[in-house]
Amino acid sequence: MQALLSFDKAPPFAAPLRFFLTAPLFALAASLVLVAAGPETLVSRWSPALLAATHLITVGFMLQVMLGALIQILPVVAGANLARPLTVARWLHGGLSAGVVLLATGFLSGRHDVLGGAALILALAIGGFLVAAARALAGVPSTSPTIRGLKLSLAALAGAVALGCFLALALANGWPVPLVVLTDLHAGWALGGWAGVLLAAMAYVVVPMFQLTPAYPARPSWGFPVVLVGLLLIWSAAVAIGSASLARVAQVTAAVAGIAFLVLTMRLQAQRRRARPDTTYRSWQFAVVSTIFGLLMWSTATVFPQLAEVPGWSTALGVLIIAGGFVSFIVGMLYKIVPFLAWLHLQNLGGGAVAAPPMNRILGDAEMSGQVRAHFAAVGALFAACWQPGWLARPAGVMAAVASAWLFFNLARAFSRYRRHAASIPAPVISP
Amino acid sequence: MSHPKTPHVVDARYLEPPEPFVRTMEMLDSLKPGERMLLLLFREPHPLYKVLRQNGYTYESEQSPDGTFEILIGR
Repeated sequence: MQALLSFDKAPPFAAPLRFFLTAPLFALAASLVLVAAGPETLVSRWSPALLAATHLITVGFMLQVMLGALIQILPVVAGANLARPLTVARWLHGGLSAGVVLLATGFLSGRHDVLGGAALILALAIGGFLVAAARALAGVPSTSPTIRGLKLSLAALAGAVALGCFLALALANGWPVPLVVLTDLHAGWALGGWAGVLLAAMAYVVVPMFQLTPAYPARPSWGFPVVLVGLLLIWSAAVAIGSASLARVAQVTAAVAGIAFLVLTMRLQAQRRRARPDTTYRSWQFAVVSTIFGLLMWSTATVFPQLAEVPGWSTALGVLIIAGGFVSFIVGMLYKIVPFLAWLHLQNLGGGAVAAPPMNRILGDAEMSGQVRAHFAAVGALFAACWQPGWLARPAGVMAAVASAWLFFNLARAFSRYRRHAASIPAPVISP
Repeated sequence: MSHPKTPHVVDARYLEPPEPFVRTMEMLDSLKPGERMLLLLFREPHPLYKVLRQNGYTYESEQSPDGTFEILIGR
């Protein structure tokens, strides 16, 4: 029994942790771009500072955490083992970090060679990870909606990265391509096909597990990833044949599918059996509501394109979906994953002879909830700043910087407590 | 709790990790030769599958419309 209880060989804590600790620093960098560039950042979705800040969040924060967590979680949710996870983690982490710094620098400086270099490095780093993940998943049958969702989301990531690199090269070389249409499609594959489908695939597992809710019903959970990726293919085909109306139909239907998934999540959360709402629950609720409003704004502007011209509309819906939605989902997940992994590794190090401290001693709910409140306030300020950039851009940037630095501080604190406990475990237990 | 497939059931649907794992192991320890047990869970427990394979158990899993995975385990 005791031998069975020593859990399966998980990748070392360092494999995902390097991603989790650097991600908040990129969120901090995005906030500082807003503070430095000020109101001009938010006057248009095409401002260089906003393009830099957006990618610091989406690639530097979101993609960093999502891929780092996947390295850890593939064996658990899919029974798929990456070959040499630490090597994959090192290269991916280095490539993502260097790539996003260059990407942001390229946007801010307008230097085309830097933008081209960023595209190349990101393509190599993410492409390398995708090859490793595809190998790990190759023999794994799609026995659950989570595995099917994972596979589809990775395919969508390949599409998003390919489009992103093409756009960067087009900008760098001045190719005559329809930038607006292709940028929208790139965002669709990245946020809907990759981040959205991955979020759903993970939600099927973690919402019932961490929040003690009923399961996502089988039929919609199998269907959602397929529908979303199918709609993105239709949207792409519409772009290829130049049909704006077909693209609009696909976009609105995708927004409706996303809202349906989020409403289902909200209904499951309402039936949870955990008596007291914890920080993860609160940040997921905030994320669900924020994303629903963001998708409503996006689909309204798709039906009535003149709305997209209203100053603040496009940037505000981006704030709701990216900062209010995905970042809040991810922060809520990090606050479950990091204490759990610390506990798991301490438990394994102790070998049953030394008990690991309870998870709330690694990171307490009060410590997490303060940071999450600062993040909620920052999202509110960023949303308001989209409509009143002149007054609010810099204060909103400062608030976002505080929330990001606080997140880094909390995660670093959890890690230092982990190290202290690990150091207190007698050596014979560590190497029996 | 019983089930048409077997009287030995662990309903771990609203339990937090590592409870489902611990209870499954306890139930497996108590089974007589030839008996099988059923684990009910809202996800597929891949780490458990690996432990089962390493210890000579076989399992089959099926998802019902409400999202529950029914995992039948035997030797």
